[in-house]
Amino acid sequence: MTLRDRATRIARAGTVVTAVALLGVAGVYVRALAFTPVEVAQGEAQKIFYIHVPAAWAGLMAFFITGLLSILYLWLKDQRIDIAAAASAEVGVAFSVVILTTGPIWGKPIWGAWWTWDARLTFTLFTFLLFVGYLVLRGVLTDPGIRGRFSAVIGIMALVLVPFVHLTVYLFRTQHPAPIVLKPSRPSLPSEMLITLLTSVGVFTVLYVGFLMLRYALGLLREAREQELANDS
Amino acid sequence: MTPENGGFMVAAYVVAAVILTGYTVSLVIRIRRERRR
Repeated sequence: MTLRDRATRIARAGTVVTAVALLGVAGVYVRALAFTPVEVAQGEAQKIFYIHVPAAWAGLMAFFITGLLSILYLWLKDQRIDIAAAASAEVGVAFSVVILTTGPIWGKPIWGAWWTWDARLTFTLFTFLLFVGYLVLRGVLTDPGIRGRFSAVIGIMALVLVPFVHLTVYLFRTQHPAPIVLKPSRPSLPSEMLITLLTSVGVFTVLYVGFLMLRYALGLLREAREQELANDS
Repeated sequence: MTPENGGFMVAAYVVAAVILTGYTVSLVIRIRRERRR
């Protein structure tokens, strides 16, 4: 099987996974908006939680996987691992855009401000910008070996940053609420809200997988074209 | 008293839907374009 055939097969599977995940997102919208109770203190704006938190989960998971794949790439020097790392980084950036837009929309009615230079918000923005830089760097480097090595170094640096983003709410005095599910004690959320949140986290995880497959297939197709051009010349 | 801020909720859900759909479309278009080359 050629690289192009493999990419096409992954793209087809990725399309199915993404379509299923997007239907799941639609289901989460219905459940969150129509069947999940309104939180009394924050009002309906609190429901932003059901997309903001899963997007944060998917985004940070994407960056974490980029870091792990970067380590693997430096060890094994397999071009496909570099392509997968870049795919995960781009998907992470897409989810970060959701985090960085829904967060301020939630913050305005609750904090009275679209943005504060709070530790959690600032580190999330830095991580996003770091990965935008990662993608720009990949865009300007033409040699696959150099591109892979340089971006792997950034990916590994960011791997250190990801757990730190999660811990900012414990390490600094911050306006951002502390985790209510991913914490040492039991989740402090009514069961109806918790089910909606966990369903959404599951759906966003599947969406991450679907996006990753599509973006990986795109990377393989580009790689196949570069190989074909090299063979022709 | 529960605050009335449903507009922010609607805005956030619409923005998230636009970003996720937009990214899906961008991936599909780029793959199609790359396949044709």
